[in-house]
Amino acid sequence: MPPTTSQLLRLALPLIPQYGFTRTALSRSILHLKSENDTHSEPLSDTAVSALFGTGDRARKTLINAWLDAGLESMNAAERPATSVGDALHARLRYNEPVLEHLPEAFALLSVPDSTVSPYPLDPLPALQHSARIADEACYLSGDQSLRLSWYARRAALMGVYGAAELHQLTSPSSAHAFLDNLLETSKAIESSVSSVGQFSEYVVRSWAGIARSRGLL
Amino acid sequence: MLRVAASRAQPSAAYLKKANAALPAVSTTPHISDAQRQQLDSALRVDQAGEIAANYIYMGQMFVLRRDPAMKPLVQEMWEQEKKHLEVMDKLQLQHRVRPTLLSDVAKVAGFGLGAATAMMGKEAAMACTEAVETVIGEHYDDQLREMESLPSDHPSVPLLREVIREFRDDELEHLDIAVEHDAQRAPAHALLSSIIGAGCKVAIELCKRV
Repeated sequence: MPPTTSQLLRLALPLIPQYGFTRTALSRSILHLKSENDTHSEPLSDTAVSALFGTGDRARKTLINAWLDAGLESMNAAERPATSVGDALHARLRYNEPVLEHLPEAFALLSVPDSTVSPYPLDPLPALQHSARIADEACYLSGDQSLRLSWYARRAALMGVYGAAELHQLTSPSSAHAFLDNLLETSKAIESSVSSVGQFSEYVVRSWAGIARSRGLL
Repeated sequence: MLRVAASRAQPSAAYLKKANAALPAVSTTPHISDAQRQQLDSALRVDQAGEIAANYIYMGQMFVLRRDPAMKPLVQEMWEQEKKHLEVMDKLQLQHRVRPTLLSDVAKVAGFGLGAATAMMGKEAAMACTEAVETVIGEHYDDQLREMESLPSDHPSVPLLREVIREFRDDELEHLDIAVEHDAQRAPAHALLSSIIGAGCKVAIELCKRV
């Protein structure tokens, strides 16, 4: 049975540190296929890579997206349900480490729109989706129970935290984990002060209601 | 009428017992195609938004009718059921990793306003509001049950989800019967009132599917 596209993509992932997010990594994936009756000594031809993964840079985007998908799975590395949001985000930063030098190019490529007729030179959506999916996965793994608007607030805060930590990692890999811890602490402090503002305003409203009631207005 | 609801099977109880929290049927979500996932997402998002609105409609009615000895227990009992529905929907949202609607606060304000305004028009109008809302919600749950036939039944959460939706549909239709028994159709401009409320509910459903 011929290998499937997703099988080849999985085999291409370990080749990224060496070849980057390139068509070469995709074409060499088949050399690592271990099957009983199929052994391949030649990498896939350029035509085969285009047919399987897309023409030109589309094939590279397919590889980047497969790598991002596998990144979500890597966040679950620590045993559940002990995973905290911090553990999950640290695990995701560690997943970046072997391919760090190729990441700026990969993110740049993702933000170039597929269609040449697109009115916008850059598409920020993939970058936002990337951090949104990581924030959502971190919440899920940590057993987050937020509902309604706090569901959005929690994810938006983590998107910001992770996005900043990842940017920091690109320029200064050694201090990225400490930076992430720092941001998580700050976001916790912001959350608690927001909730105390909420509590305070509730007291104010209640006391006004009490005054109104005592004056016979309510 | 609500006594009948109590005697019916209540599959949603599986979500309310703490001891069940780790069971796969109430804690895992099936592996399904992207299209099916999107369908499940929008279905649960709109159901949850609907239950939020229903809670606030009854809260609005209660706010106005709290001094009416005949209506208070009736509205309170229906409200209690809606509270249970919302609790289960919240658990379903977390279980199936559904994005909640951004319009939850709009649903609260609109629901409370609708409930209070119709109750101020009289108890018949309040019941006509319940009748119109529950008709649309009952039909909506019915459509969803048909859509859910395509989900894989081999995952334990799917048959339970269908059972829960069926239970909620029956609860909503009972509320509809109660409203009719309590003179909903004697409300002033009943046809106009129900068509306006029904149309509003349909617009809200389409909005919450997307936003």
